[in-house]
Amino acid sequence: MTLHDVATAAGVFRAGGTDLMSRAPGGPYVDLHGVPELGGITWRPDGSAVIGALTTVADLARDVRLRAAYPALALTAAGLATPQIREAGTLGGNLLQRNRCAYYRSPAFSCHQDGGDSCPARDGLTLYATVVDSGPCVAPHPSSLAMTLLGYDATAEVYGRGELEVAGLYDDDPTRDHRLARGEILVSVRMPPPTPGERAAYHRAIARSEAEWPLVEAAARLVVADDAIVFAAVTVGGVARTPLRLPEVESALLAGESLAEAAGRAEARCAPQAQTGYKVALLTGTILHVLEAAVEGEKVAA
Amino acid sequence: MKITVNGVPTMVDTDRDDAAVDVLRDGLGLTGAKAACRTGVCGACTVLVDGAPRASCLTPAAALEGREVTTVEGLEHPVQRAFAVHDGMQCGYCTPGFVVEAAAFVDRWRAEHGDVTPSRAEIAGAMAGHLCRCGAYEGIHAAIAAACRGEHDGEAGEPARVEAMQKVTGRAVYTTDIRLDGQLEGVIVRSSVAHGRVRSVRGGAVDLLPPDRTVRYVGQPIAAVAAASRGEALAAAAAVEIDYEVLPAALDDGSGTPPVWDAADRKHAPTSMEGFAFPGGWDGTNVRGPFGPGSWRSRTAVNRINAASGQGDPRLVTGTYTTAVQVHTAMEPHACVAAWDERGELHLNVSTQAISMVVEQAAKRWKLREDQVHVVAEHVGGGFGSKAGVTVETIAAVELARKLGKPVRVVLSRAEELTDTGNRPGTTTRLALLTDDKGDLTALSMDVHGRGGVAIGTSSALMARLMYGTAPRRLRDFDVLTNEPPGTPFRGPAAPPMLWALEQAVDEVAHRRDEDPVELRRRWDGNPKRHALYDWAAALPAWRDRPATGSQTGRFRRGIGVAIGNWPYQLDPGTQVELVVEGEVVVARTEVQDIGTGARSVIADIVRAELGLPADRVRVEIGRSGAVHGPASVGSRTTASIGPAARDAARRLREHGLKDGTRVVGKRRGDRRGYVTPIAMAGLAIGRGFAGSVHITEVEVDTRLGRIRPLRVWGGLAVGHIYNDRLARNQCEGGIVQGIGYALYEERHVDPSTGTVLTTNLEDYRIPGIGDSPEITIHFHQDGWDHVNGGGVGVGEISTVGVAASVGNAVFNATGWRAHDLPIRPDRLLRGISR
Ligand SMILES: Cc1cc2nc3c(=O)[nH]c(=O)nc-3n(C[C@H](O)[C@H](O)[C@H](O)COP(=O)(O)OP(=O)(O)OC[C@H]3O[C@@H](n4cnc5c(N)ncnc54)[C@H](O)[C@@H]3O)c2cc1C
Ligand code: SF4
Ligand code: FES
Ligand code: FES
Repeated sequence: MTLHDVATAAGVFRAGGTDLMSRAPGGPYVDLHGVPELGGITWRPDGSAVIGALTTVADLARDVRLRAAYPALALTAAGLATPQIREAGTLGGNLLQRNRCAYYRSPAFSCHQDGGDSCPARDGLTLYATVVDSGPCVAPHPSSLAMTLLGYDATAEVYGRGELEVAGLYDDDPTRDHRLARGEILVSVRMPPPTPGERAAYHRAIARSEAEWPLVEAAARLVVADDAIVFAAVTVGGVARTPLRLPEVESALLAGESLAEAAGRAEARCAPQAQTGYKVALLTGTILHVLEAAVEGEKVAA
Repeated sequence: MKITVNGVPTMVDTDRDDAAVDVLRDGLGLTGAKAACRTGVCGACTVLVDGAPRASCLTPAAALEGREVTTVEGLEHPVQRAFAVHDGMQCGYCTPGFVVEAAAFVDRWRAEHGDVTPSRAEIAGAMAGHLCRCGAYEGIHAAIAAACRGEHDGEAGEPARVEAMQKVTGRAVYTTDIRLDGQLEGVIVRSSVAHGRVRSVRGGAVDLLPPDRTVRYVGQPIAAVAAASRGEALAAAAAVEIDYEVLPAALDDGSGTPPVWDAADRKHAPTSMEGFAFPGGWDGTNVRGPFGPGSWRSRTAVNRINAASGQGDPRLVTGTYTTAVQVHTAMEPHACVAAWDERGELHLNVSTQAISMVVEQAAKRWKLREDQVHVVAEHVGGGFGSKAGVTVETIAAVELARKLGKPVRVVLSRAEELTDTGNRPGTTTRLALLTDDKGDLTALSMDVHGRGGVAIGTSSALMARLMYGTAPRRLRDFDVLTNEPPGTPFRGPAAPPMLWALEQAVDEVAHRRDEDPVELRRRWDGNPKRHALYDWAAALPAWRDRPATGSQTGRFRRGIGVAIGNWPYQLDPGTQVELVVEGEVVVARTEVQDIGTGARSVIADIVRAELGLPADRVRVEIGRSGAVHGPASVGSRTTASIGPAARDAARRLREHGLKDGTRVVGKRRGDRRGYVTPIAMAGLAIGRGFAGSVHITEVEVDTRLGRIRPLRVWGGLAVGHIYNDRLARNQCEGGIVQGIGYALYEERHVDPSTGTVLTTNLEDYRIPGIGDSPEITIHFHQDGWDHVNGGGVGVGEISTVGVAASVGNAVFNATGWRAHDLPIRPDRLLRGISR
């Protein structure tokens, strides 16, 4: 099958199906697996990778060359969901999955995200909601990979639209979790050339030890030279309607502020919901955790 | 499409969009993989696709085309025997998924690292996509580690339980796996309003409303429908039209809320207590109580406390403690397959922990003689109190089968399971505890408000009657009624909330007096059996070397805490076991079920030992009605009831000689000094003496990110003779894992404006995974039960009741902050320690 065949077929695209099957939006489904352009990892002469949308999360974590070139991405992939889900779930599906708000997933409610005109969560259970207010919907964006890709300035190749920044896949519109229209296919994610000397870390704050959706998650990429941070990319998830990159934290790091001070800069963004006041401390704490881990960690990228 | 299944090329006729688990189970009859959550969280449905483990519930059939699929039925791997030998299971419902995943992990591990032991963290990471509600994680760890070392490449080792090989090969058949010819699938239609009168129902095949046609919570059954497939039945259910007169609902505890039960209907309120609820008055519209039958010199207690309070006496410890609603969450959902035969007799396959109760209640309900009700529950995937007697899936299946003239299967979805199969009610406890200059207890007051939705029966304060001697005490229980799903008995009903409050208050006394918390309890506690446990606990190096409370300042702080528990000894004195010599084999039968406690093995062990027979000459046939009377698996009474009856039967048979055709019936003979209850009610007697526990728990607290990691737990239990050491340990380990879930993660959430349960899947309702399971050491003190026939009592409940309190005390030791609300979530911890 060609991209054109798929794009014009009537139906919902299905990659690994791990998000679709639990939502069961109702078919027909169009399987993406037969399209060669969507698979595989290609390395370009400048050392950068183009990662096909059907690459599984497990492969992102496992592929030796990817791990060396983009350690934060590999660590994030290894840290999300469960081994079986990582084995089946794909990069494209991860970036374009729907949110996990219990109200949205419950058949008993309708809300902005499924054709309704209100948000029952706002006045209800907000324990797992956003802490950075970005509009009527308060469900955190679910994609861990999107978060980390923001820190790489990665771009997405979309059939029917062209190339756009990964950040451009998302906005605050309360009716959707990504901006692709029906029929638009995410073909691949284009990475920048690896950053020499990158040290990376990923962490999620959760109650249990594994397999839990993050209350807050963060990824950091740092380059340290002569005890000074000369490059920083810090991204966070679980806190806002979209995954976020935090330039205020990055510039504080480059300006030589302590890790704790720099992490604390994220606080200014916060505007908690009724029950998410705790996420303020959790956000700065998680950022500090990844910064410390990245500074202490081995250099990974060549 | 073509799939190679367990090595056999197979043509399957399926919709490409169907879930692989349904193709395997319904299409090919391979029921080893279980569809326990259908959201990719529990791993019970795991199969290998081209050698890699997949959650088959989220795998579209299309993804199997041209692939090699291996299900547990086709697996032949040393790790299966390892699970059997190391007892990596209880009920076994999660076992197929675990062994399939473990097989892939063990192969990969040995290829990469050789035959060495992986760390606990490595095993936990690999098994992160699996949940075991029985909490058999210690056995699972041991099994996987042993298989990685290559210890089970041969046939080495005896399975720990008689049905273990069936469970690890997927041959064990559960109710959800039954498929009869011509069987229909039934679905229950439930209320979408929290309170309303149902004016009319259009399209339902059978009616499930109570006589007053009133629904009192979202999710209450209204009707049921059936069709050839579950998909069609769901569509039919969606088409049922219900016309409600919506009534105002009580969804908070505020006064002035509309009545959940009108005065005339109050007697219909269900109860969350085992077997009975206290009679009594209503204090306001939706508050019932107080009940204070456990009080003792209550006026004295209150006077002393008031006086101390007036003087600001530092020896008075007060506090308010709350607990969240906890849901049983058995891995096998409630399920029933019902069929009527041409003679008008009823045949039920049902996932139950009480075959004898199902027979009795079904006979009564459908006006049959008990011998016309035939119940099979060969393997039962857990219950924890939620599967005692005829519950709604059974009613729906039976009614549908009668109406439609065909067998009907009703299997609840995970969302139904987490909404309306019972729960441990939430509580708010106000407590005051006074000591004198010598540090002796002089007064105790506990007011417990229980929130069991539309159910009554709070009796947590009552349980404090069993604790710490005879100091004056006022113990009052109240029910706060709301339009939420009803509570039901749950493993150790009423005790964990009481201990959560009391055992932390006692810890506080020790802290203020600067006294060793174990020594203080030893002084207060009159139970000699537990004194032996105090000796054991005090000698544990981890306890001896515990840090001073609040002495640590780093990000990660360790703490250790103690809590005790008491549980009444219960038994079913009517229990019998029959033995029949069938050729070379002695067959044992009784009307008991094995929900994971190991009832089969207890009987088999005793019969073999008494008669000196090898394993293959004893067969235990339980899990069906029609045999002699056996106990319900509730109230920790199974083993203490069937053990002595099996021994009695074996001794009789030895006297008769093992002649083909000989049949003897053994009885559960009485205890010396009899029982506390003069007559047996509903198969229950309360025997003399209390089972006792001491739990010591070590945690690590991440003060930055709010996570509490249980590291090690020592469980000391005074329960007398242990019938089967490995099985009893497994039960106690599982009790600890569930207690940890209660302490740290488990919480049912309900939408405050509609009353809809929001935690309807296993992501949102959080039970402990293998990574949350601490290293566990179980210590049995076996003396002190000589008056009991068989010398020992049950472990199921005593092993869990005190665990949460020990976690709370450990967190206090680590941080100097005392948690008052369960679960101790990261947000609560962070807020608490930042003060
Ligand atoms: C228990 C559990 C825990 C999880 N935890 C996490 C977590 O912590 N972090 C996290 O990020 N994720 C988590 N996930 C989500 C998981 O990562 C996603 O389900 C998975 O990555 C989706 O990939 P898929 O290929 O299966 O997507 P599918 O289900 O096939 O598709 C998802 C959506 O994307 C669309 N789509 C897919 N590919 C394309 C494409 N190429 N072009 C256009 N549209 C496309 C589909 O139409 C669909 O709407 C978890 C999931 C489970 C079940
Ligand atoms: S938070 Fe968003 S997804 Fe959840 S109910 Fe509100 S609008 Fe819907
Ligand atoms: S049923 Fe598939 S993971 Fe639970
Ligand atoms: S044995 Fe794991 S759920 Fe029962």
